[in-house]
Amino acid sequence: MGVAFVAHCLLNQNSKVGDGAHCAGVYSPVIDVLREKGWRIEQMPCPELAFTGLNRFWAVKEQLDTAAYRRHCERLAEAVAAVISVRVTKGEDVVLVGVEGSPSMGVTVTSSDPLRGGRPEWPDGTAEHVSGEGIFVEEIRKALAKRGIGFPRVAGETHALPGHDEAAQRAGLESALEG
Amino acid sequence: MKPDERSFRIMLAADRYVNPPPDGVDAVAVAEQTGWGVMQLPADDYPPEVAGPLLAEVAEQLEEFSRHGYAFVLVGERAGLAEALAQVGVPLPDQISPRTPRQLADFLGGQPAPSAG
Repeated sequence: MGVAFVAHCLLNQNSKVGDGAHCAGVYSPVIDVLREKGWRIEQMPCPELAFTGLNRFWAVKEQLDTAAYRRHCERLAEAVAAVISVRVTKGEDVVLVGVEGSPSMGVTVTSSDPLRGGRPEWPDGTAEHVSGEGIFVEEIRKALAKRGIGFPRVAGETHALPGHDEAAQRAGLESALEG
Repeated sequence: MKPDERSFRIMLAADRYVNPPPDGVDAVAVAEQTGWGVMQLPADDYPPEVAGPLLAEVAEQLEEFSRHGYAFVLVGERAGLAEALAQVGVPLPDQISPRTPRQLADFLGGQPAPSAG
């Protein structure tokens, strides 16, 4: 058992971008697995909520990747890294659970489109999904490195990805928890 | 695209209700059953230099929810929360330290509807 640092929205779908909430509040497919396996839960702040607010548009990584947003994420990442440090010092296992496809919280898949901007007229699609980490996850990696702490194992909620499969999402999470 | 399913209802929950002891109340389970979102407060044993920045972030996020008419309550207690909320001009919400899941569910059910949504 250990400590799962989870994306804010996995406990609070109210923080999602408009039209992005998959359920009323708690995203059970991830949280229930953590409960079943006896993992402690630590909720991370939502970097987009505090910076661009509840009325934000859907965005790709390039739209958020400004110096100001990086500084904001760096500040939040330092707060998260401090808690991870407390847990690691106690000898506890740590896993980070993000949101795949997110420009901020993606752990193996983020979203990218260098041309996106201006009036938001792009249709739904999957072309923006690329391998990589979101901005906040990148800043957590840097903050941990500064403290000499290795980056934890990761898992992701995959609702935004094409072909989302809840069983595969669960298997990915269980694999990360088992190490 | 599925419609947005958010509840516009959020509980600030002390850590002992998010990671309850064996005989404790699991507020996350009650939130799942009643459709509330959860914002976790830092554990009581975190040193001030760790807990302080987290409380400040909780307060900033709650201020955004408050301005948009979301409903929120406090489950349990956390030293420093009132001061952090005061920094962003948000008062402490209705509070409960439930002894049973039923007590918490009844408390949530008795809350007024949010003005948002």
